[in-house]
Amino acid sequence: MTRADRRADVAAAAVVAGGRAWFERRALALAGIATIGVLVVMLYLPVGVVFVDAVVVDGVPTLAAFREVLTDPFYVGALAAVFSDPLAIGGHATAVFGWLAAVSVSLSIEYPLSDVALPVPWLRVTTPGVRLGLFGFTAYQAALSTIASVALGLPAAYVLATYEFRGRRTLRSLTILPFVLPGIMVAVGFYAAFGQTGTINGLLGLVGLGPYPFIERNPLAIVIVAHAFYNAPLVARITVAAWESVDVRTVETARSLGASPRRAFLDVIAPQLFPAILTGALLTFVFTFMTFPIVLALGGLQLATVEVWIYDRIRRLAYAEAATLAILETLVSLGLTYAYLRYESARSGLARAAAPPPKEPLFPDLRTALTPRRLAVVGYGLVALVVFVGPMASLVIGSFTDGSGFTLRHYAFLLERQVEGQSFQTRPFPAVRNSLLFGLGTLAIAVPMGVILSVSTARAGRVGTIVDALAMLPLAVSGVVFGIGLLQGLVFGIPLPGGWRLQVTGPVAIVAAHAVAAYPFVTRNVSPLLGALDPAMVESARALGASRYRALVDVELPLVASGIVAGAAFAFAISIGEFSSTVILAGGADTYTMPVAVERYLGRRSGPAIAMGTLLLVVTAASFVVVDRVGGRVER
Amino acid sequence: MKRRTFVGAVGGGAVAGLAGCVTRDGDDGPENGTEPGDPEPEEPDLSGELIVATYESMVDDENPAGTWLKEAFEEAHPDAELTWTVPESGLNHYIRREQEEADLDADVYLGVNVDDLARIDDALDDGGLFRELNLDRIGRADRIRNGLEMGDPHGRVLPYDTGYISLVYDETEVDEPTTFDDLTAPAYENALLTQNAQNSDPGQAFLLWTIDAFGEDGYLDYWRELADNGVRVLDDWYESYYGAYMEGQRSMIVSYSTDQVFASAEGYDMSRHQVAFLNDQGYANPEGMAIFDRATKIDLAYEFVNFVLSSDAQAEIAQRNVQFPAVASEHVELDPEFDRYAHEPPEAVTMEYDRLRGNLDGWVDDWAREFASQ
Repeated sequence: MTRADRRADVAAAAVVAGGRAWFERRALALAGIATIGVLVVMLYLPVGVVFVDAVVVDGVPTLAAFREVLTDPFYVGALAAVFSDPLAIGGHATAVFGWLAAVSVSLSIEYPLSDVALPVPWLRVTTPGVRLGLFGFTAYQAALSTIASVALGLPAAYVLATYEFRGRRTLRSLTILPFVLPGIMVAVGFYAAFGQTGTINGLLGLVGLGPYPFIERNPLAIVIVAHAFYNAPLVARITVAAWESVDVRTVETARSLGASPRRAFLDVIAPQLFPAILTGALLTFVFTFMTFPIVLALGGLQLATVEVWIYDRIRRLAYAEAATLAILETLVSLGLTYAYLRYESARSGLARAAAPPPKEPLFPDLRTALTPRRLAVVGYGLVALVVFVGPMASLVIGSFTDGSGFTLRHYAFLLERQVEGQSFQTRPFPAVRNSLLFGLGTLAIAVPMGVILSVSTARAGRVGTIVDALAMLPLAVSGVVFGIGLLQGLVFGIPLPGGWRLQVTGPVAIVAAHAVAAYPFVTRNVSPLLGALDPAMVESARALGASRYRALVDVELPLVASGIVAGAAFAFAISIGEFSSTVILAGGADTYTMPVAVERYLGRRSGPAIAMGTLLLVVTAASFVVVDRVGGRVER
Repeated sequence: MKRRTFVGAVGGGAVAGLAGCVTRDGDDGPENGTEPGDPEPEEPDLSGELIVATYESMVDDENPAGTWLKEAFEEAHPDAELTWTVPESGLNHYIRREQEEADLDADVYLGVNVDDLARIDDALDDGGLFRELNLDRIGRADRIRNGLEMGDPHGRVLPYDTGYISLVYDETEVDEPTTFDDLTAPAYENALLTQNAQNSDPGQAFLLWTIDAFGEDGYLDYWRELADNGVRVLDDWYESYYGAYMEGQRSMIVSYSTDQVFASAEGYDMSRHQVAFLNDQGYANPEGMAIFDRATKIDLAYEFVNFVLSSDAQAEIAQRNVQFPAVASEHVELDPEFDRYAHEPPEAVTMEYDRLRGNLDGWVDDWAREFASQ
């Protein structure tokens, strides 16, 4: 090699290094700009387009729609009197005291199962009753759903985080599965599992019990269980991720200082899990506050929520009222998110390196298997089997049966449609392919977006908290409204000067919309871990000459890897399960996904749609195992 | 005779339609306003791509009518191509596009209900979105049966099939209900299942049927009695039928009078698929077709509308869509199997445009508020 060559080599290397240094210096800024760009086009623009409908009627700004909703007892119940005359404080106080005075508490014996003589002491609280209104009822069922989801999700997190057993990793991957199922499939699955002639009653019949009308007797309870079906896995997943990033040395220190295992758990581990549990609870509340298909399908109109009314208003083209309801709904969710974030940011500063606690074998021998704790795990496993596996298994069974028994013809339909389907018909393979491609695309965009937002708000004080709360907007806005906004803002297009229209459709738009729906999960999984890191670690890396980007990639990210992987799995799941914006943005007929195919096959026969739903289950289950295995390698 | 009543109804509408059109000022369509409909051209242009918008089960069901229609139409018109399009939000999609003045990209809409027409006219100008049809260009329009008039004063729509909302019940659990009052009797306590009229076609049809039976002032009282007797209102037809009814939750459901056609095809136990007509009535839900105001392939669109009313097309649509044909029985031959299992009510009830216009939203809203969480 001549000297000139060598010099050229060195120069080239310097240019590459210079380019890399330039990139590293600006990487965060560039990624931040890209993130803001995606958010403005795919989120703030569409949502803004709809919300303007609420406050501008015929070109004149007005708050009349708000006044109407807030003073209507149908919507806000007893609060309507307060809103219509907010200054009559004395009158409102008298009303409250009068109500309190009429409350009575008594102890009685109840028989909760009408067919079984099982007496339960019951604390009966009698109140004169208060009109909740649509908003009040929506919040009430969301609160119950949240409690149920946390109660069902935490034991799962405990089992997955503390025990080692065959298939633990696979099970952990599959916890996210319920998340991707379209509402219709879940409703059909629940009926097939809990219905009068359903699987559970079939099993009860074998031991001479039932049939028990689970859904008929208490629809609210079944709706809440269905919400737990969706959201308990979310609680479990987020909590496991936090559990696995607990530094075992802190526990060992506590133990060496004489703390009992219970004390060590309560004082060391529990405080580190608490933000994750609250995150799960918050997300569950927000989701179930905006629930729509599940309440109507299982509970019926009696359990209607605010979202049901928004959907109805939009169908009737009453956009002002729909937007008003949506804004109020969003304010509730964002307010809660903000309150939670204040709490989360108040708790930063615990230095922690990921050295996850060791796991003990679940059933090492028979003696251990019979201890109360192991038996409780088995008991929980049975409950989980009924709640989670029951509906999904019933769906799968439904895809192989018709009125007269076992059949493969529902799958034959899918095959035939794949082979002979015409261009305007929905074929299964493109749906599978599109779902997976969009899922990967979503991962590629949502994970960096979520991390960027976490990093930029982690230590920015109150302003950071507000920005963080606003960044949660995709979770807080009703899906119906978001869909309409995408349609009006991006599909129809925004008129620009010179006769142009800004229009965004097709696969790129779908992936961007999925990413916008998904990044909050990355942020909410990463932020608590990032906030808990010792700022001194980043500062020393910076003092040693690392760029902010280097410090992030080399120091912070490896320490919060479990959060990133958990967030990434959610991002993938959100993309696979997403329905409304996919349908709206799919420009050509060839950009449909698996859930869209399920809905399109719903006709006056059930078979094809359920078979497609089963295919969705299988493909998603397989891809989650892969995502988690790949993610697991990143975590190590 | 039949021809005269039908043409009379549509013709009468045409005059009112004209009056409605004149009030639209600054309209972009040259054919609107002053000229009476679409004059028949000397040489109709029957080539090119005709875009027909419709609902999903028309093209994506197990054995959809859409595939047959496309093939047969293209065979009859070798220079033409039929392209199906299925907008996600149905007709609302085009109403919004009309409001936003965005491109429509469609010539014909297959699947317009009467209440859609009322909604169009509430949201757009009266007589909006679709053209007033020139029936002289649709030779087979006179085949349409009596009782399917949709009462559009602007003459925009012709029916191509109809379903009848009725009750489907399990004869091993309850006796056949014959009147509306039966449903509030103790024998039918906790038996009836219906759908949310806010977002379900049969649900809304059943609500309208009760309004027809009890009047605007009486229907809510009747529904309160139904509620006291334990009626259950689920989301839509699919979930209430395949979820709740087929899983044995209830012994009666608001559904279609063609239910047995499916039940026999699927091998279901017929005792759970008995059809009952309250007051010897069924609520007719005719489905109509219309040509967009801003359609580009007018001649082809007229040709298509006429084609849909042909005997072959009517038989195929009826059997594949499992609905009744829109044309009189002498113009269509159906499989004996279809005739055997599809039941027609002695009397068809339907609310026409005039009664729905301006009332429908209020009726549904009052009803929903009565039932929703309080």
